[in-house]
Amino acid sequence: MNGTAKPMTGSDPILEIRDVDKAFGGVQALDRIGFALEKASITGLIGPNGAGKTTLFNVITGIFAPDAGDIRFAGQSIENLEVHQRVSLGIARTFQNVELFESMTAMENILVGLYTRTRAGMIQSMLRLPRTRQEEARARDQAMELLNFVGLRDYASRKSGDLPFGWQRMLEVARAMAAQPHLLLLDEPAAGLNISETGHLGELIKEIRKQGITILLVEHDMSLTMSISDQIVVLDQGRKIAEGTPRAVQENKAVMAAYLGKKANPTNN
Amino acid sequence: MDDKYLPAIYTGFALGIAFLGWRIDNAYYLQLLIFIGLNTLLALSLNMLMGYAGQISLGHAAFYGIGAYVTAILSTTYQVPPLLALPAAVGAAMVIAWIVGIPTLRLSGYYLGMGTLGFGMIVHIVLREWGSVTGGASGFVGIPPLEIGPVSFASSKSYFFLVWAVVLAVIILCRRIIDSRVGRALCAIHDGEKAAAAVGVNTRRLKLQVFVLSAGIAALAGFLYAHLVFFISPGSFGFMASIKIVTMVVIGGMASIWGALFGASLLTLLPEWLHAFSEFEMVVYGLILMVVMIFMPRGLTRGLMDIYERYRKTHDRQ
Repeated sequence: MNGTAKPMTGSDPILEIRDVDKAFGGVQALDRIGFALEKASITGLIGPNGAGKTTLFNVITGIFAPDAGDIRFAGQSIENLEVHQRVSLGIARTFQNVELFESMTAMENILVGLYTRTRAGMIQSMLRLPRTRQEEARARDQAMELLNFVGLRDYASRKSGDLPFGWQRMLEVARAMAAQPHLLLLDEPAAGLNISETGHLGELIKEIRKQGITILLVEHDMSLTMSISDQIVVLDQGRKIAEGTPRAVQENKAVMAAYLGKKANPTNN
Repeated sequence: MDDKYLPAIYTGFALGIAFLGWRIDNAYYLQLLIFIGLNTLLALSLNMLMGYAGQISLGHAAFYGIGAYVTAILSTTYQVPPLLALPAAVGAAMVIAWIVGIPTLRLSGYYLGMGTLGFGMIVHIVLREWGSVTGGASGFVGIPPLEIGPVSFASSKSYFFLVWAVVLAVIILCRRIIDSRVGRALCAIHDGEKAAAAVGVNTRRLKLQVFVLSAGIAALAGFLYAHLVFFISPGSFGFMASIKIVTMVVIGGMASIWGALFGASLLTLLPEWLHAFSEFEMVVYGLILMVVMIFMPRGLTRGLMDIYERYRKTHDRQ
């Protein structure tokens, strides 16, 4: 793939979240949250419902502006960038409740995902010069590759809304990948998937990481999260209560108390 | 998807126009076909905005009016050749759309409907009250016929060919936009604006672009209208005219190029056919629109396709 964004240097964190605050009315959804993501790592973001995980996603992607704090992507502050500009920079996401373009085919969904990596504007589309045709052909090839990557090659021309739910999740991942991101945010990608689909998803996420893409994952499926993550960050009521390797976090007393509660076996969700 | 059939469809369309133009000499029928062409342009224009991008406009006749009045004023009052008045008419509508669109397109749904409705009313009032320039409520008289170099479009037949050549060109351009990166992004905005932004679509800018494009097509129809009838008055560009454009798009079928053609044809022909009902004309007219919407909620194009599919299925079973 011809990534257009500039290459990153090795050891600097790709994403740095610094003391981010966000309140809705009287509720402190995020309270001085700070952590960093290493390049090509998988970080699991966990916490009970209402802990602020999705709010943090929305702050990172630019849907909400934080009340305080800073978010730095590849060393630069992205505070003033709009949602679509952050995508151009290399931050892509999926949604908790799959948000595909349902009236469009699987292929077209991916092609929209390639929006930031293609150029043709309204006038070029009307003129349809050779350059525009070539770009379109190249985009279709890339889209096909991505469909193949998530195993949906044979369903390219099916309406995305008609696909089974598990496939819709895969399609959404592929659509996010089309933006050729450096950072991929996955919001509960395994929700609603059966065991074999979840297994497939885990493989896919590892495969994506192998391409050098950093992943931040919100997931309630603990066995998946613990098995693929390099690092776990735990939120509870808007605060970060723990951070570390999956093993360290599972043994953390605060996490046990706040998040896993009375359950004896943390791997059982 | 039907990309490979498109050249054939366009050729058939062009041949159809040529055939009609060749066979029909009756001035009334030619006039009717010209009006279908103009209404098709208006429906295509709104369809790009409403059918594809999902942004409603209840004031679209304003752009139609701006196109008509700009060319009327330039070519009559200032004796500008119509060929030069054309870019001015279309350009004026596009610039106004751009200025109006920046604040208005921040709205969505009903609120956008109200915003555009207000805009349409303002333009209508300006056309009616600015008598010294627009001729006021009594209208603007004496617009010259179209002449492009040595070619005159004074006869109904030549105007018929001109209008339908423009319709075909606009259909091809719209179709090209729809089957492109921009068109897909527009449909994405329609399906889910949040998701569209999340995959990197600059939704605000794209909505503004399509609004400007749509205004330009409507103004083009206005230009052709002014040089067809030689007399224009604010009444043709008021609220009812805007509603009629919306009706054409909805009846024909949203997000369908051919739907625009269907809707425009039906809404142009229906009043003509219904003259027989004299004072009940509007009642029957409304009734027909209701029946179409009840039985074909997705418009004529979809509705007829569904009927065909059903027929084919039962046919296959036998």
